[in-house]
Formats: sequence, structure tokens, C-alpha cells
Amino acid sequence: MKTKLINSISLCVLLCAPAAGAAESGTLTKNDELKAEPFRDAKTLKVLAAGDKISIVSKEGGWYKIKAGKSSGWMRMLSVRKGDAKKASAATGLLALSSGRAATGKVVATTGVRGLNEEELQAASFNAQELQLAESYSVSKADSKKFAAKGKLVARPFDYLPEPK
Amino acid sequence: MNAKLKWVSLSGLLLIAMNCSAFDLRQSLKDKLNTDVPQINPKLVEAVNVVKEARGPDEEEEIAIGRQISGNLLGAAPLVKDAKLQKYVNQVGEWVASQSERPDLPWHFGVIQSEDVNAFAAPGGYVFVTLGLYRLLQNEADLAGVLGHEIGHVIRKHHLKILQQSQLVDAGGKLLSRQVGGDDKIQNLIGNGAEIVARGLDKDAEFEADRIGVVLATRAGYDAYGLPGVLQQIGHFAKDDGSIALLFKTHPLPDDRLDKLDSAMEDRFDRIKGQTLEKRFYRVKK
Repeated sequence: MKTKLINSISLCVLLCAPAAGAAESGTLTKNDELKAEPFRDAKTLKVLAAGDKISIVSKEGGWYKIKAGKSSGWMRMLSVRKGDAKKASAATGLLALSSGRAATGKVVATTGVRGLNEEELQAASFNAQELQLAESYSVSKADSKKFAAKGKLVARPFDYLPEPK
Repeated sequence: MNAKLKWVSLSGLLLIAMNCSAFDLRQSLKDKLNTDVPQINPKLVEAVNVVKEARGPDEEEEIAIGRQISGNLLGAAPLVKDAKLQKYVNQVGEWVASQSERPDLPWHFGVIQSEDVNAFAAPGGYVFVTLGLYRLLQNEADLAGVLGHEIGHVIRKHHLKILQQSQLVDAGGKLLSRQVGGDDKIQNLIGNGAEIVARGLDKDAEFEADRIGVVLATRAGYDAYGLPGVLQQIGHFAKDDGSIALLFKTHPLPDDRLDKLDSAMEDRFDRIKGQTLEKRFYRVKK
């Protein structure tokens, strides 16, 4: 009971923090160019290095507006990982242990409230009423098209991505 | 060469017999072998069975399996009682699924009452997101990306393949059920309750679903970076949080998924603008 309360409090703290408008910290995963605007052809302001700490101000498409030291500009979102620098896979010690993962990446015993866990899922029994309710919310293709049009969503062709090497 | 020819004629036979159950198929082939076409190598019968097994259950069977799994999942975590929310995720989900190669599946989407951060797909078009994950989303493009990932599992039949690999699905058996109370025969195939959704898929299936998620969201007119944004969020906040333990156990870590997406997306999306629809996004009460 207590654990549950503490858990939900910590969840709230974590979830509410970004909403409070505080810039989030991030770390560069690779060397990449800081751009004046959020697109590839924009002017390069400087090159930041893997491991550099930055703060994330906002997001636009695949770009973060960031501050790095005295400079600010736009960085490709996928060159950044939120959070403080952790030496990648060398995240050992308390952090790794508390997440139930040993440094080997193997899942070890975890403690604490886990919510929808395997045991609960295994023990679950068929709920016909909820299933019928779930199915009752389905939306027709025509309605989804109207919904898309309202949001000015326009369908467009785009090839599936090849598996990267 | 010979084998190739055999394959061609085999496919033809299969096409004709597509709607028959495997048993009927076997029987009719046997009949055929015994009468009109005695010159065909009897090994063909065996080959047809192998192909049938590789093809897996047909769509009706697939949906019946998905219904059973979904009914069980809802037994563990019921729907959030917010009809507007449920309607909204179905509107977004149906639109995104329409961009896939299986637009005509009876797609169903739902938000389930759990503060865990997770999402589930079941064969035949069932997709569920936990309330805990839904709360992390900041706009409709985020939702489209997450649903797109789960739709990816469905259209590539990732869970069905697991059932087949573990030989839980006997391709020869017909598994139809529209029974309201679920079906024992199907339940026997999928194991206990909804444990199949707690079983991890292989990493490549997850990476594939990520790639499909960003593409389906893009096709639907959304900003492609919804899913990567959610992965950033998950990777950031939850390293030691119990509410994400199952997701971490059954998926590659978010940082690995982002690395893989980065290499797959490259600069392909640079000139693609999309909507985020932050204003329209349905927010749940705290």
C-alpha cells in the first residue's frame, strides 16, 4: 500500500516535471552539427561532440531546439538521448541493479510494485463484457477519413524502411 | 528448376484451396492424387502441408485467436471508462491502420486501466495501450506512432509466428470461434490467460515494428517523430521504475531502439512535414 503510494508519487513527479517547463537535460550520442534552423541544409553553427551535455528547450519534428554552453540552435533529435550522460552500456552499479538488470543486460529479480506483470497476465481470465465494450468503440473507415480530414491529415505514399545493416 | 516448377503448380493449387481448411485441402489433394493426376509426385501432399503450416492460420482463425487474447488481457486490466477517449484512439488507430497493407482487418483499439507503461497487440487487429503510456503522450502524432508500432506487430503476424514456432497452433486444426465466453480450444493454444503478451518477441520484430510505426504515421499525414519522441521519454524517465519493468523485459532498451531507428530513418524524413495535432489531442484527467 505504502509502496504503491510512493510509486505513484514518484511517477507523478517524473511526469509533471517536463510539464513545468523546465528544460530537460540531454546528451549527444554522436558528433553532430548544431544548426541555425531545424533542417539539414540550414547554416551550421558549430559541431558538438558525442558525450556533450545539452539542455532541450523544445521539439519540432525530428529536431530539438537546444542550448549547449553559450550556444543555442537546432540538433537532430536522434543524435540526442534525454537524461544525463551515462557511459552507454557501462551503466553499472546501483542504477542497473535497481532496474532489475545486471550489467550483462540479463533480467534479474526485481522488487516492488510492478502492476501489469506476467503473473497477473497469466492468471487473467476472459472478460467477455469488456471485450464487447472494446469492440463497440470501433470506427468505420468512412468515419476515420472524416476524422483525418478534420485534422487536415493527408494520406501520402511512403515506402517501408529497409532494415539497417 | 524442377523444384521451382513444383512450387508454381503448388501455389496454384493452394490459391484454389485457400478457403478450405487444411483437412479439406489434404483430403481433396489426396482425392486428386488418387484420381485425375496420378503422375504427380506423392511427396506433393506432404509439401502442401508444409506450406500450409508455414502460411499459418487463416484470417478468421487469426481474429479468433486475437479475440481470446484480448478478452484475457481485458480480464487483467479493463478499459478506462471514458467513452470519448476510447472513441478517439479508435479514430486515430483506424486511420493509421488504413495506411497499412491490411486496412480491412476489423481493427480495435483501447486504453486499459493500468499505470504501467506498455502497449499490446493481439492477432487480427487488436491494439491496447495502458493509461500509464497514454499519459506520456503529448500529441496525436505520438499516439499515431505508438499505435503504428503495434499495428506493425499485427500486420507482420509477429505473435502468430511465435505461436507457430512453439507449435501451439496446429495448422491442421480449425479454430473458429465467435463464442461470447471465449473458447477452450483456442485458450489451450495460447497458454495461460494473456501470458502471450507478456512473452517477448525477438528484438528484430520490435525493431521492425518501430520502422513500420514511423512509416504508417508518416503515410497518415503525421509527424514521423512521434514514436521516437515517446521512446526518448521512456528511456529517460523510467530506468528503475516498476511500472515499466515488463516493457523493458519484453523489448530492447529504448536507447537501442532509437539507435536502430536513427540508422533506418537516416535523412529520409528531412523534407517530410507532418501534423502533430497537439490541440486536438485528447488529454486524460490526472
